[in-house]
Amino acid sequence: MTTPKLSIDDKVFKNLDGSGDWGIKGYEKRGGYKGLKKLLKTDPSVHIDQLKGSALRGRGGAGFPTGLKWSFMPKPDGIKPNYLVCNADEGEPGTCKDRDILRYDPHTLVEGMIVGCHCLGAKVGYIYVRGEYYDESSRLNQAIEEARKAGYLGKDIQGTGVDVEIYVHLGAGAYICGEETALLESLEGKKGQPRVKPPFPAGYGLYGCPTTINNVETIAQVPPILKKGNDWWCQFGRENNHGTKIFSVSGAVNLPGNFEAPMSISLKELIDEYAGGVIGGWDNLQAVIPGGSSTPMLSAANCNTAVMDFDGLRDLGTGLGTAAVIVMNKDTDLLRVMARISHFYKHESCGQCTPCREGVGWVSRLMDRLIAGEGTLEELDQMYDVTKKIEGKTICAFADGAMWPVQGTLKHFRHLFEERIKENMKANG
Amino acid sequence: MSENNTVTLTVDGKEVTVPAGSSLMDAATASGVEIPRFCFHKRLSVAGNCRMCLVEVEGGPPKPTASCCFPAGNGMVVHTKSPMVKEARKGVMEFLLINHPLDCPICDQAGECDLQDISVSYGSDCSKFGEGKRAVEDKDIGPKIKTVMTRCIHCTRCIRFATEVAGVEEMGATFRGENMSVGTYVENALESELSGNMIDLCPVGALTSKPYAFTGRNWEMVKTNSIDVMDALGSNIEVHSRAGKVMRIVPRENDSVNEEWISDTARFSYDGLYEDRITSPLVKVKSGKLQSIGWKKAIETVLPKLTGKKVIAGLAGDVHSVEDLYSFNAFMKETLETPNVDSRMGGFKLDGEFRPSYIMNSTIEGVDHADAIILVGTNPRLEAPVLNARIRKNVRGRNIPVYMVGAEVDLTYSYGLIGDKPSDLEDLSNGKSAIAKVLKGFNKPMIILGADAISRSDGLAVYKEVEKLSDTIGAIDAHWNGFNILHNKAGLVAALDMGVTPGKGGMDIAKTLKALKAGEVDTLILYGESDAVSAEDLKGAKFTIYIGTHKGTYADMADVVLPAAAYTEKDGWWTNTEGRVQESKAAVHPLLNAKEDWKIFRALSGELGKALPFDSLEALRLKISEDNKPYENIGKVSSAQAWVCVSGKGSLLKSAFANPVTNFYKTNEIMKASQVMTECAKSVAHKQNAMKKVG
Repeated sequence: MTTPKLSIDDKVFKNLDGSGDWGIKGYEKRGGYKGLKKLLKTDPSVHIDQLKGSALRGRGGAGFPTGLKWSFMPKPDGIKPNYLVCNADEGEPGTCKDRDILRYDPHTLVEGMIVGCHCLGAKVGYIYVRGEYYDESSRLNQAIEEARKAGYLGKDIQGTGVDVEIYVHLGAGAYICGEETALLESLEGKKGQPRVKPPFPAGYGLYGCPTTINNVETIAQVPPILKKGNDWWCQFGRENNHGTKIFSVSGAVNLPGNFEAPMSISLKELIDEYAGGVIGGWDNLQAVIPGGSSTPMLSAANCNTAVMDFDGLRDLGTGLGTAAVIVMNKDTDLLRVMARISHFYKHESCGQCTPCREGVGWVSRLMDRLIAGEGTLEELDQMYDVTKKIEGKTICAFADGAMWPVQGTLKHFRHLFEERIKENMKANG
Repeated sequence: MSENNTVTLTVDGKEVTVPAGSSLMDAATASGVEIPRFCFHKRLSVAGNCRMCLVEVEGGPPKPTASCCFPAGNGMVVHTKSPMVKEARKGVMEFLLINHPLDCPICDQAGECDLQDISVSYGSDCSKFGEGKRAVEDKDIGPKIKTVMTRCIHCTRCIRFATEVAGVEEMGATFRGENMSVGTYVENALESELSGNMIDLCPVGALTSKPYAFTGRNWEMVKTNSIDVMDALGSNIEVHSRAGKVMRIVPRENDSVNEEWISDTARFSYDGLYEDRITSPLVKVKSGKLQSIGWKKAIETVLPKLTGKKVIAGLAGDVHSVEDLYSFNAFMKETLETPNVDSRMGGFKLDGEFRPSYIMNSTIEGVDHADAIILVGTNPRLEAPVLNARIRKNVRGRNIPVYMVGAEVDLTYSYGLIGDKPSDLEDLSNGKSAIAKVLKGFNKPMIILGADAISRSDGLAVYKEVEKLSDTIGAIDAHWNGFNILHNKAGLVAALDMGVTPGKGGMDIAKTLKALKAGEVDTLILYGESDAVSAEDLKGAKFTIYIGTHKGTYADMADVVLPAAAYTEKDGWWTNTEGRVQESKAAVHPLLNAKEDWKIFRALSGELGKALPFDSLEALRLKISEDNKPYENIGKVSSAQAWVCVSGKGSLLKSAFANPVTNFYKTNEIMKASQVMTECAKSVAHKQNAMKKVG
């Protein structure tokens, strides 16, 4: 069974490939900002109910239902303002979808922010852009300026009485600032370290005010859903996993790139139909990381049946994450990939809480030795033991995301470690 | 069953009810379960980063929860000893130890180290860690704190203390992950008057006392409850001594006074107890040098100077206990029958007639209830750093406004500067200025008047003006007395209580100084040093007797010097700025031939044939409490008295209120003798110069 490709009308990001005009004219031509006035005139509660019905789930990795998240926001009490913060600190290895949104279709985000702020009772929205995305942030700023000039942004937008202002803030290159509360800390000018929860941002967020944080893709998808309705949205994907989704396919494929496709597409179809197939053919496939480096690998066998949505991948012991599909064929040294990923997490741990600060480096070093064949078989168990001691003990999910892939690799590819250790033992007598 | 403001939950099978908003850790504590912790500290914000306090909550996510930061909820079922919890804590302990140097045998923290203690319960007997350990460069953060940063477990207590309590935002963590390193901004010396408290807060040996380094082990220490005398706050301290020598000083908890903080002068000045001490009676020989003699001979030398028709004057310095002041006063007035006695060498203008006029009536704890604070001619940051921290706590936590009439100084919190001239005070007390109108709106305003402001020549006028101000803004009523004097000398309140002021027709400090200059004084008895009067001004008596603890300019000009006991060497009552009488126990014996002060006066009086009516400390104390109501209630503040206006006279000067403390680390003889305090003073000067250059 093949899933039909999305028509240009059904795509949320119509200029994701960058072939058209990224500016406001091009966006308006593609149907952008049409119906914005109506959305702003409608009561936010209507929108949030509709979002709940749409089963839109956060595109930043955790897949939390967006409508539900937005319903947690209290109504502005006149004392503390509400904030909408867009998380554009895209740093998950393998993920590059937000980048293309920012540079090729930035107005989708701007419109999403305007509608989002209205839904959440926020007069100010912040977009926290990864520091490395300097060019993209400049383009985003241009888009915001265009929108302001066109009257889509500012005070009393199109006579609806809605005021929205958007500010772009550039991060300084820390992966952890993509964690929503670390992002808030960083936005406040402090060291980017996750906060202890509770309290959650909806109650105590930016500057202690009610705040909602969403991924770029999520926010940008809101206006089309509200405009076109849940029937349109829910025709894509499965129950609880509806809509369209950008998949960033990279690695050993013939045509890597960002593709907007219906949710619940099969992995095989995604690789074959969108990304030009595995280099060396499907049989040359060794493993796939389905949702960015924090999600455990899928073995080739699982790849045959994998369905690309939150629930389908969860059932396979991994996750959709950011839908960054990293394809590895048999030419890839899988263990080196894993060691490199572990090194990344060691480098990016914020250092705030004990298990992650001390443990992630330990795992990385163990991994380095084990893939060089220098460890012992007992140390394989020890490494698993360490990952278990880290998992679930920390303030944020960073350490979980760092440990799951290690656990996954040990589960599916333990034989590779063992082979290497035995080889080395043989070589050294 | 539980009301709205409480929650009831089960901890380890035991039901417990705690106030709403309590954490799981609070609930566990209430049910008698101790939760191990490193980062959590009750007086600091919650960080939740050490992960040692993990507990299991039934029905929650299948992972342990940090109990220090998770709110207790109705009906929760919490396990603190389940296999999940034990495994989790063991894991955290293992992580804490893999990069810890485990150098307990050479670590000053050993024996009082949280990591050591908790590892007994959760640590493993051997390490599985086969990688290289992390080493971190030590930081130089000044003369008070020694750092061994490899031992740091990144709990951030020190950072939170510096930022939240001390108000110097210079501590922080740089770098990320396992490279995260705690230190000061660009490796500056930490300029805080409270920095030593970080040593107590540090759960490991990363921050230890520099002066104490390698001098003793905590299990060797004899611990004695004492009272700090470096300022007039009466901070509760514990003097640690070994083999009859004071080895270090740490705070004791007293929520009414110092919470659990002490100033750096209290903590680090103890080396001054052994520098430049007078260890035996001295007499001036012909060459002009002081030579040591026995007590008997010294008294023989002194007696003729105290008998016959002579003009005798006595001055008591800044740091004396209640008993000492009482016996000095009695010795002067009853034995020597001279009215020429004064203890207010700094020129404090009030006498001991009406107690509320010279104490902190709102009490120190009153800061936690006041809704505004008006500082007049005082710099609490340097006069009473621990009090300043309490004000800061309320400025941060309750957002109360602080106003200042006085020199503009950095108090670590923002305040409204009204002006620094007495005329600004006048505008305020007249109730005409806009700010005065704002001040009228507060229910519990707390006016804190610096003792130095009423030690100016127009002191009484300043006092009257502030009294008028408290009337204008309604600071004194039946339920609240917002009139407060902040003293900076440990002995002055006791001296005023004991009436160590001129008797009828006697000379006060000003008149005594004049008489000395005119050569009209036969014998001057100088009892202790005062920061306010230089030895030069005290010259001129035909014979000068100095009774004190330290060699110095006062002792140098004396004809006979009698060695007294320092505050750690005698049992004594100390009366703090709020009039609270607190008992301090002798930690060690008086140094060599020094004697407890009251015994010196008692002995002299006996030799003169007019023995003072007490032979023991108990008898002396009984006499004191008979004569003085507040001294029946040791440790407590006395109850409020109806306000009586003190007669004041004179008019206000034009000159501005000066910053009362210019050299924080050198305000009494102990600090002056202390090399650590000298280092601290140098460090401050160095930093100020550097700032000027950058300037």
